[in-house]
Amino acid sequence: MAPRNRKAENGESSLSAGTSTKASETSESSTDGVLASALLPPTEGREVVKVNNASVTEMKHACDDALKRFLSRPELFNQIYTHTDVRLGLGWASVFVALGTGLYGWKVDFEKSKPAVWAGVILYVLLTTIQTLYAYFVEGDIVFVGKRKTFDKRIVTERITLTSTSTPSKPSSPPAYSLGLTYMRSTSGGKSLLGRGRAKGDRGYNTFFDEKGVMDQEAFERWVGEMVGRVMVGKNE
Amino acid sequence: MFSDELKALRRLGFRHVLLQVLNFVQVLASGFMMWKGLGLITNTESPIVVVLSGSMEPAFYRGDLLFLTNPADQRYATGDITVYKIPGADIPIVHRVLETHDVVAKPDDYVAASPLAQPQLLLTKGDNNPVDDLDLYQGLEWLERRHIIGKVQAFLPYVGYVTIAMNDFPQLKYALLGGLGLLALIQRE
Repeated sequence: MAPRNRKAENGESSLSAGTSTKASETSESSTDGVLASALLPPTEGREVVKVNNASVTEMKHACDDALKRFLSRPELFNQIYTHTDVRLGLGWASVFVALGTGLYGWKVDFEKSKPAVWAGVILYVLLTTIQTLYAYFVEGDIVFVGKRKTFDKRIVTERITLTSTSTPSKPSSPPAYSLGLTYMRSTSGGKSLLGRGRAKGDRGYNTFFDEKGVMDQEAFERWVGEMVGRVMVGKNE
Repeated sequence: MFSDELKALRRLGFRHVLLQVLNFVQVLASGFMMWKGLGLITNTESPIVVVLSGSMEPAFYRGDLLFLTNPADQRYATGDITVYKIPGADIPIVHRVLETHDVVAKPDDYVAASPLAQPQLLLTKGDNNPVDDLDLYQGLEWLERRHIIGKVQAFLPYVGYVTIAMNDFPQLKYALLGGLGLLALIQRE
Protein backbone atom coordinates (compact mmCIF):
# COMPACT_ATOMS: atom_id res chain seq x y z
CA MET A 1 0.00 0.00 0.00
CA ALA A 2 2.97 2.33 -0.58
CA PRO A 3 1.14 4.97 -2.68
CA ARG A 4 -1.36 5.50 0.14
CA ASN A 5 1.26 6.90 2.50
CA ARG A 6 1.50 10.09 0.53
CA LYS A 7 -2.02 11.30 1.29
CA ALA A 8 -2.63 14.33 3.47
CA GLU A 9 -2.63 13.84 7.20
CA ASN A 10 -4.65 16.86 8.28
CA GLY A 11 -8.12 15.37 7.80
CA GLU A 12 -9.73 15.38 11.20
CA SER A 13 -7.41 17.70 13.09
CA SER A 14 -8.38 20.89 11.26
CA LEU A 15 -12.06 20.07 11.63
CA SER A 16 -11.80 19.88 15.40
CA ALA A 17 -9.70 23.07 15.36
CA GLY A 18 -12.52 24.79 13.47
CA THR A 19 -15.14 23.76 16.00
CA SER A 20 -13.09 24.79 19.04
CA THR A 21 -12.37 28.35 17.85
CA LYS A 22 -16.07 29.00 17.37
CA ALA A 23 -17.03 27.76 20.77
CA SER A 24 -17.72 31.30 21.97
CA GLU A 25 -20.74 31.70 19.70
CA THR A 26 -23.12 29.33 21.37
CA SER A 27 -25.70 28.94 18.63
CA GLU A 28 -23.11 28.21 15.97
CA SER A 29 -21.17 25.66 18.01
CA SER A 30 -24.17 23.35 18.26
CA THR A 31 -24.70 23.43 14.50
CA ASP A 32 -20.97 22.99 14.12
CA GLY A 33 -21.12 19.80 16.13
CA VAL A 34 -23.88 18.40 13.93
CA LEU A 35 -22.10 19.71 10.84
CA ALA A 36 -18.76 18.30 11.93
CA SER A 37 -20.22 14.82 12.29
CA ALA A 38 -22.07 15.13 8.99
CA LEU A 39 -18.88 16.16 7.23
CA LEU A 40 -17.06 13.00 8.27
CA PRO A 41 -17.21 10.01 5.93
CA PRO A 42 -20.21 7.77 6.64
CA THR A 43 -19.48 4.64 8.61
CA GLU A 44 -21.82 2.18 6.93
CA GLY A 45 -20.57 -0.09 4.13
CA ARG A 46 -20.22 1.17 0.60
CA GLU A 47 -19.63 -0.19 -2.89
CA VAL A 48 -16.09 -0.47 -4.16
CA VAL A 49 -15.30 2.08 -6.87
CA LYS A 50 -12.74 0.82 -9.32
CA VAL A 51 -11.64 2.77 -12.36
CA ASN A 52 -8.89 2.72 -14.92
CA ASN A 53 -6.19 4.74 -13.19
CA ALA A 54 -4.48 5.58 -16.46
CA SER A 55 -7.45 7.64 -17.61
CA VAL A 56 -7.62 11.08 -16.01
CA THR A 57 -11.20 11.50 -17.28
CA GLU A 58 -12.38 8.35 -15.52
CA MET A 59 -10.70 9.34 -12.28
CA LYS A 60 -12.20 12.82 -12.42
CA HIS A 61 -15.66 11.36 -12.98
CA ALA A 62 -15.19 8.95 -10.10
CA CYS A 63 -14.18 11.85 -7.83
CA ASP A 64 -17.12 13.98 -9.01
CA ASP A 65 -19.57 11.14 -8.40
CA ALA A 66 -18.15 10.48 -4.93
CA LEU A 67 -18.47 14.19 -4.21
CA LYS A 68 -22.12 14.25 -5.27
CA ARG A 69 -22.92 11.16 -3.22
CA PHE A 70 -21.16 12.55 -0.17
CA LEU A 71 -22.70 16.01 -0.25
CA SER A 72 -26.27 15.13 -1.17
CA ARG A 73 -26.90 13.15 1.99
CA PRO A 74 -30.02 14.38 3.84
CA GLU A 75 -28.04 15.84 6.74
CA LEU A 76 -25.90 17.89 4.41
CA PHE A 77 -27.17 19.47 1.21
CA ASN A 78 -30.00 19.03 -1.24
CA GLN A 79 -28.61 18.97 -4.71
CA ILE A 80 -30.03 21.61 -7.03
CA TYR A 81 -30.35 20.25 -10.54
CA THR A 82 -30.95 23.49 -12.44
CA HIS A 83 -27.92 23.25 -14.75
CA THR A 84 -28.61 19.61 -15.54
CA ASP A 85 -32.29 20.30 -16.14
CA VAL A 86 -31.61 23.18 -18.53
CA ARG A 87 -29.22 21.00 -20.53
CA LEU A 88 -31.66 18.12 -20.56
CA GLY A 89 -34.59 20.37 -21.50
CA LEU A 90 -32.80 22.08 -24.37
CA GLY A 91 -31.28 18.83 -25.59
CA TRP A 92 -34.45 16.80 -25.60
CA ALA A 93 -36.39 19.70 -27.15
CA SER A 94 -33.91 19.78 -30.01
CA VAL A 95 -34.25 16.00 -30.44
CA PHE A 96 -38.03 16.29 -30.65
CA VAL A 97 -37.72 19.13 -33.16
CA ALA A 98 -35.48 16.87 -35.26
CA LEU A 99 -38.00 14.03 -34.94
CA GLY A 100 -40.90 16.27 -35.94
CA THR A 101 -39.02 17.66 -38.91
CA GLY A 102 -38.12 14.14 -40.02
CA LEU A 103 -41.67 12.88 -39.80
CA TYR A 104 -43.01 15.92 -41.61
CA GLY A 105 -40.43 15.63 -44.39
CA TRP A 106 -41.27 11.96 -44.78
CA LYS A 107 -45.02 12.51 -45.08
CA VAL A 108 -45.04 15.61 -47.30
CA ASP A 109 -43.52 16.10 -50.78
CA PHE A 110 -40.09 17.69 -50.91
CA GLU A 111 -41.07 20.91 -52.65
CA LYS A 112 -44.07 21.57 -50.39
CA SER A 113 -42.19 20.67 -47.24
CA LYS A 114 -39.31 23.05 -47.79
CA PRO A 115 -40.48 26.03 -45.63
CA ALA A 116 -41.31 23.82 -42.64
CA VAL A 117 -38.07 21.87 -42.94
CA TRP A 118 -36.13 25.16 -43.05
CA ALA A 119 -37.90 26.24 -39.88
CA GLY A 120 -37.10 22.91 -38.24
CA VAL A 121 -33.42 22.98 -39.17
CA ILE A 122 -32.99 26.58 -38.00
CA LEU A 123 -34.78 25.85 -34.71
CA TYR A 124 -32.61 22.78 -34.15
CA VAL A 125 -29.41 24.74 -34.76
CA LEU A 126 -30.62 27.47 -32.39
CA LEU A 127 -31.48 25.04 -29.58
CA THR A 128 -28.23 23.11 -29.82
CA THR A 129 -26.19 26.33 -29.98
CA ILE A 130 -27.92 27.70 -26.86
CA GLN A 131 -27.37 24.37 -25.11
CA THR A 132 -23.66 24.34 -25.95
CA LEU A 133 -23.16 27.96 -24.94
CA TYR A 134 -25.01 27.36 -21.67
CA ALA A 135 -22.90 24.32 -20.85
CA TYR A 136 -19.70 26.17 -21.68
CA PHE A 137 -20.31 29.60 -20.15
CA VAL A 138 -22.97 29.26 -17.48
CA GLU A 139 -22.33 25.74 -16.24
CA GLY A 140 -18.59 25.62 -16.95
CA ASP A 141 -16.75 23.39 -14.46
CA ILE A 142 -19.56 23.25 -11.89
CA VAL A 143 -20.20 19.72 -10.69
CA PHE A 144 -22.42 20.26 -7.66
CA VAL A 145 -24.80 22.94 -6.47
CA GLY A 146 -26.35 22.36 -3.08
CA LYS A 147 -28.79 24.16 -0.85
CA ARG A 148 -29.52 23.78 2.79
CA LYS A 149 -32.12 25.36 5.05
CA THR A 150 -31.61 25.39 8.78
CA PHE A 151 -33.95 26.84 11.32
CA ASP A 152 -32.18 28.70 14.10
CA LYS A 153 -34.30 31.71 15.33
CA ARG A 154 -34.73 32.48 11.59
CA ILE A 155 -34.56 30.48 8.41
CA VAL A 156 -30.97 30.40 7.21
CA THR A 157 -30.40 29.34 3.61
CA GLU A 158 -26.99 28.09 2.67
CA ARG A 159 -25.84 27.58 -0.88
CA ILE A 160 -22.67 25.86 -1.97
CA THR A 161 -21.24 25.49 -5.47
CA LEU A 162 -18.38 23.17 -6.29
CA THR A 163 -16.28 23.24 -9.44
CA SER A 164 -13.66 20.67 -10.34
CA THR A 165 -10.96 20.49 -12.96
CA SER A 166 -8.20 18.06 -13.73
CA THR A 167 -4.63 19.09 -14.30
CA PRO A 168 -2.76 16.60 -16.49
CA SER A 169 0.44 15.01 -15.33
CA LYS A 170 3.79 16.69 -15.80
CA PRO A 171 7.25 15.14 -15.40
CA SER A 172 7.46 16.72 -11.93
CA SER A 173 3.92 16.15 -10.63
CA PRO A 174 1.19 13.54 -10.95
CA PRO A 175 -2.24 14.37 -12.45
CA ALA A 176 -4.20 16.36 -9.91
CA TYR A 177 -7.82 17.03 -8.99
CA SER A 178 -8.51 20.66 -8.29
CA LEU A 179 -11.63 21.51 -6.31
CA GLY A 180 -13.09 24.99 -5.89
CA LEU A 181 -15.87 25.90 -3.47
CA THR A 182 -18.09 28.94 -3.25
CA TYR A 183 -20.33 29.27 -0.24
CA MET A 184 -23.04 31.72 0.68
CA ARG A 185 -25.24 31.99 3.71
CA SER A 186 -28.29 34.24 3.70
CA THR A 187 -31.58 34.73 5.41
CA SER A 188 -35.08 36.13 4.83
CA GLY A 189 -35.37 34.60 1.39
CA GLY A 190 -31.90 35.47 0.19
CA LYS A 191 -32.24 39.19 0.86
CA SER A 192 -29.75 39.63 3.66
CA LEU A 193 -26.32 38.11 3.30
CA LEU A 194 -24.89 36.53 6.43
CA GLY A 195 -21.65 35.21 5.18
CA ARG A 196 -19.66 34.16 2.17
CA GLY A 197 -16.70 31.90 1.70
CA ARG A 198 -14.44 30.61 -1.03
CA ALA A 199 -11.90 27.84 -1.02
CA LYS A 200 -9.66 26.00 -3.43
CA GLY A 201 -7.62 22.88 -3.07
CA ASP A 202 -5.82 20.33 -5.13
CA ARG A 203 -4.65 16.84 -4.53
CA GLY A 204 -2.91 14.46 -6.86
CA TYR A 205 -5.08 11.57 -8.02
CA ASN A 206 -2.47 9.25 -6.57
CA THR A 207 -3.66 10.17 -3.09
CA PHE A 208 -7.11 8.72 -3.75
CA PHE A 209 -6.52 5.88 -6.20
CA ASP A 210 -4.22 2.96 -5.54
CA GLU A 211 -2.17 1.04 -8.10
CA LYS A 212 -5.18 -1.12 -9.08
CA GLY A 213 -7.48 1.86 -9.53
CA VAL A 214 -9.57 1.29 -6.43
CA MET A 215 -10.73 4.58 -4.96
CA ASP A 216 -10.12 5.39 -1.34
CA GLN A 217 -13.48 7.02 -0.81
CA GLU A 218 -12.94 7.70 2.88
CA ALA A 219 -9.80 9.74 2.27
CA PHE A 220 -11.52 11.66 -0.50
CA GLU A 221 -14.58 12.38 1.59
CA ARG A 222 -12.42 13.43 4.51
CA TRP A 223 -10.63 15.94 2.30
CA VAL A 224 -13.89 17.26 0.84
CA GLY A 225 -15.49 17.39 4.27
CA GLU A 226 -12.55 19.35 5.62
CA MET A 227 -12.73 21.88 2.79
CA VAL A 228 -16.51 22.27 3.10
CA GLY A 229 -16.22 22.69 6.85
CA ARG A 230 -13.55 25.31 6.43
CA VAL A 231 -15.57 27.33 3.99
CA MET A 232 -18.77 27.08 6.06
CA VAL A 233 -17.28 27.90 9.42
CA GLY A 234 -14.44 30.14 8.29
CA LYS A 235 -14.17 33.92 8.09
CA ASN A 236 -16.81 35.95 6.31
CA GLU A 237 -15.53 37.78 3.26
CA MET B 1 -21.39 -8.97 -18.66
CA PHE B 2 -22.14 -5.31 -18.07
CA SER B 3 -23.14 -5.70 -14.43
CA ASP B 4 -20.55 -3.19 -13.24
CA GLU B 5 -21.77 -0.57 -15.66
CA LEU B 6 -25.42 -1.29 -14.89
CA LYS B 7 -24.75 -0.96 -11.18
CA ALA B 8 -22.99 2.35 -11.79
CA LEU B 9 -25.94 3.58 -13.85
CA ARG B 10 -28.44 2.65 -11.15
CA ARG B 11 -26.30 4.40 -8.55
CA LEU B 12 -25.98 7.59 -10.56
CA GLY B 13 -29.69 8.10 -10.95
CA PHE B 14 -32.35 8.80 -13.52
CA ARG B 15 -31.10 12.22 -14.63
CA HIS B 16 -27.70 10.73 -15.45
CA VAL B 17 -29.26 8.01 -17.60
CA LEU B 18 -31.31 10.67 -19.38
CA LEU B 19 -28.13 12.65 -20.05
CA GLN B 20 -26.29 9.63 -21.46
CA VAL B 21 -29.23 8.68 -23.70
CA LEU B 22 -29.44 12.31 -24.78
CA ASN B 23 -25.79 12.24 -25.85
CA PHE B 24 -26.46 9.29 -28.13
CA VAL B 25 -29.74 10.56 -29.54
CA GLN B 26 -28.25 14.01 -30.16
CA VAL B 27 -25.50 12.49 -32.30
CA LEU B 28 -28.15 10.81 -34.44
CA ALA B 29 -30.32 13.94 -34.54
CA SER B 30 -27.34 16.11 -35.53
CA GLY B 31 -26.43 13.78 -38.37
CA PHE B 32 -30.02 13.74 -39.56
CA MET B 33 -30.36 17.52 -39.36
CA MET B 34 -27.11 18.00 -41.28
CA TRP B 35 -28.52 15.75 -44.02
CA LYS B 36 -31.75 17.71 -44.13
CA GLY B 37 -29.87 21.02 -44.12
CA LEU B 38 -27.68 19.84 -46.99
CA GLY B 39 -30.81 18.83 -48.91
CA LEU B 40 -32.30 22.28 -48.43
CA ILE B 41 -29.12 24.04 -49.54
CA THR B 42 -28.70 21.89 -52.65
CA ASN B 43 -32.46 21.99 -53.36
CA THR B 44 -32.74 18.23 -53.61
CA GLU B 45 -34.39 15.62 -51.39
CA SER B 46 -31.38 13.31 -51.59
CA PRO B 47 -28.11 15.21 -51.90
CA ILE B 48 -25.89 12.10 -51.66
CA VAL B 49 -26.71 8.85 -53.48
CA VAL B 50 -24.96 5.53 -54.11
CA VAL B 51 -24.61 3.99 -57.59
CA LEU B 52 -26.21 0.53 -57.58
CA SER B 53 -25.80 -0.69 -61.15
CA GLY B 54 -23.13 -0.62 -63.80
CA SER B 55 -25.18 1.24 -66.40
CA MET B 56 -22.92 4.31 -66.28
CA GLU B 57 -19.56 2.57 -66.65
CA PRO B 58 -16.80 3.62 -67.21
CA ALA B 59 -17.85 6.92 -65.61
CA PHE B 60 -19.42 5.47 -62.44
CA TYR B 61 -19.16 2.02 -61.02
CA ARG B 62 -21.35 0.25 -58.50
CA GLY B 63 -20.51 1.54 -55.04
CA ASP B 64 -19.58 5.10 -56.01
CA LEU B 65 -20.94 7.96 -53.94
CA LEU B 66 -22.50 10.83 -55.91
CA PHE B 67 -23.06 14.43 -54.77
CA LEU B 68 -26.08 16.13 -56.30
CA THR B 69 -27.49 19.63 -56.65
CA ASN B 70 -30.69 20.75 -58.27
CA PRO B 71 -30.38 24.45 -59.19
CA ALA B 72 -33.89 25.71 -59.82
CA ASP B 73 -32.76 28.52 -62.11
CA GLN B 74 -30.61 26.47 -64.48
CA ARG B 75 -31.68 24.40 -67.43
CA TYR B 76 -30.53 20.84 -67.84
CA ALA B 77 -28.39 20.41 -70.94
CA THR B 78 -27.40 17.40 -73.03
CA GLY B 79 -24.50 15.66 -71.36
CA ASP B 80 -25.54 16.40 -67.76
CA ILE B 81 -25.66 13.32 -65.57
CA THR B 82 -28.95 13.31 -63.70
CA VAL B 83 -30.54 11.19 -61.02
CA TYR B 84 -34.26 10.79 -61.52
CA LYS B 85 -37.11 8.87 -59.97
CA ILE B 86 -40.26 7.84 -61.84
CA PRO B 87 -43.36 7.84 -59.63
CA GLY B 88 -44.19 4.19 -59.20
CA ALA B 89 -40.59 3.03 -59.24
CA ASP B 90 -38.86 2.94 -55.86
CA ILE B 91 -35.24 3.31 -56.86
CA PRO B 92 -33.66 6.41 -58.42
CA ILE B 93 -31.69 5.97 -61.66
CA VAL B 94 -28.43 7.69 -62.62
CA HIS B 95 -28.21 8.32 -66.39
CA ARG B 96 -27.02 10.98 -68.81
CA VAL B 97 -29.31 13.47 -70.58
CA LEU B 98 -29.51 12.66 -74.29
CA GLU B 99 -32.08 15.16 -75.52
CA THR B 100 -33.85 18.19 -74.07
CA HIS B 101 -36.91 19.91 -75.45
CA ASP B 102 -38.78 23.05 -74.48
CA VAL B 103 -42.53 23.13 -74.73
CA VAL B 104 -43.86 25.93 -76.91
CA ALA B 105 -46.42 28.02 -75.00
CA LYS B 106 -49.88 27.66 -76.59
CA PRO B 107 -52.17 29.31 -77.63
CA ASP B 108 -49.89 32.37 -77.99
CA ASP B 109 -47.37 30.43 -80.12
CA TYR B 110 -44.17 31.87 -78.71
CA VAL B 111 -41.23 30.69 -76.65
CA ALA B 112 -40.72 32.82 -73.52
CA ALA B 113 -37.37 34.57 -73.08
CA SER B 114 -36.53 33.42 -69.56
CA PRO B 115 -34.85 30.00 -69.57
CA LEU B 116 -37.17 28.23 -67.20
CA ALA B 117 -40.40 29.91 -68.15
CA GLN B 118 -41.37 26.75 -69.95
CA PRO B 119 -41.07 23.21 -68.61
CA GLN B 120 -38.23 21.08 -69.92
CA LEU B 121 -38.69 17.60 -71.32
CA LEU B 122 -35.73 15.24 -71.12
CA LEU B 123 -34.66 11.91 -72.53
CA THR B 124 -31.89 9.98 -70.80
CA LYS B 125 -29.66 7.00 -71.51
CA GLY B 126 -27.10 5.10 -69.47
CA ASP B 127 -23.58 5.29 -70.98
CA ASN B 128 -23.20 1.54 -70.73
CA ASN B 129 -26.70 0.73 -72.02
CA PRO B 130 -27.41 -0.11 -75.67
CA VAL B 131 -30.74 1.80 -75.81
CA ASP B 132 -32.24 4.93 -74.26
CA ASP B 133 -34.45 4.86 -71.15
CA LEU B 134 -37.85 5.04 -72.83
CA ASP B 135 -38.78 1.56 -71.50
CA LEU B 136 -37.96 2.67 -67.98
CA TYR B 137 -40.29 5.63 -68.02
CA GLN B 138 -43.34 3.45 -67.23
CA GLY B 139 -45.54 4.90 -69.95
CA LEU B 140 -44.20 8.44 -70.04
CA GLU B 141 -42.64 9.72 -73.27
CA TRP B 142 -40.37 12.28 -71.65
CA LEU B 143 -38.99 13.05 -68.25
CA GLU B 144 -40.11 16.30 -66.67
CA ARG B 145 -38.14 18.56 -64.33
CA ARG B 146 -40.21 17.41 -61.38
CA HIS B 147 -38.96 13.83 -61.77
CA ILE B 148 -35.33 14.87 -61.52
CA ILE B 149 -33.74 14.59 -58.08
CA GLY B 150 -30.56 16.38 -59.12
CA LYS B 151 -27.50 16.72 -61.28
CA VAL B 152 -24.23 14.99 -60.40
CA GLN B 153 -21.54 17.52 -59.41
CA ALA B 154 -18.91 15.29 -57.81
CA PHE B 155 -18.27 11.69 -56.85
CA LEU B 156 -16.22 9.53 -54.50
CA PRO B 157 -15.33 5.98 -55.60
CA TYR B 158 -15.92 2.86 -53.44
CA VAL B 159 -17.27 4.74 -50.38
CA GLY B 160 -20.85 3.75 -51.21
CA TYR B 161 -20.15 0.07 -50.56
CA VAL B 162 -20.75 0.73 -46.85
CA THR B 163 -24.35 1.75 -47.61
CA ILE B 164 -24.79 -1.20 -49.99
CA ALA B 165 -23.54 -3.59 -47.30
CA MET B 166 -25.88 -2.13 -44.69
CA ASN B 167 -28.83 -2.42 -47.07
CA ASP B 168 -28.09 -5.99 -48.08
CA PHE B 169 -27.35 -7.10 -44.51
CA PRO B 170 -29.70 -5.22 -42.19
CA GLN B 171 -28.23 -7.09 -39.20
CA LEU B 172 -25.07 -5.08 -39.78
CA LYS B 173 -27.04 -1.87 -39.46
CA TYR B 174 -28.71 -2.96 -36.22
CA ALA B 175 -25.47 -4.29 -34.80
CA LEU B 176 -23.72 -0.99 -35.51
CA LEU B 177 -26.57 1.04 -34.01
CA GLY B 178 -26.78 -1.26 -30.99
CA GLY B 179 -23.04 -1.06 -30.43
CA LEU B 180 -23.06 2.73 -30.66
CA GLY B 181 -25.99 2.93 -28.26
CA LEU B 182 -24.25 0.77 -25.68
CA LEU B 183 -21.07 2.79 -25.95
CA ALA B 184 -23.01 6.01 -25.50
CA LEU B 185 -24.69 4.77 -22.33
CA ILE B 186 -21.48 3.61 -20.74
CA GLN B 187 -18.94 6.18 -21.79
CA ARG B 188 -18.84 9.60 -20.15
CA GLU B 189 -17.51 12.75 -21.72
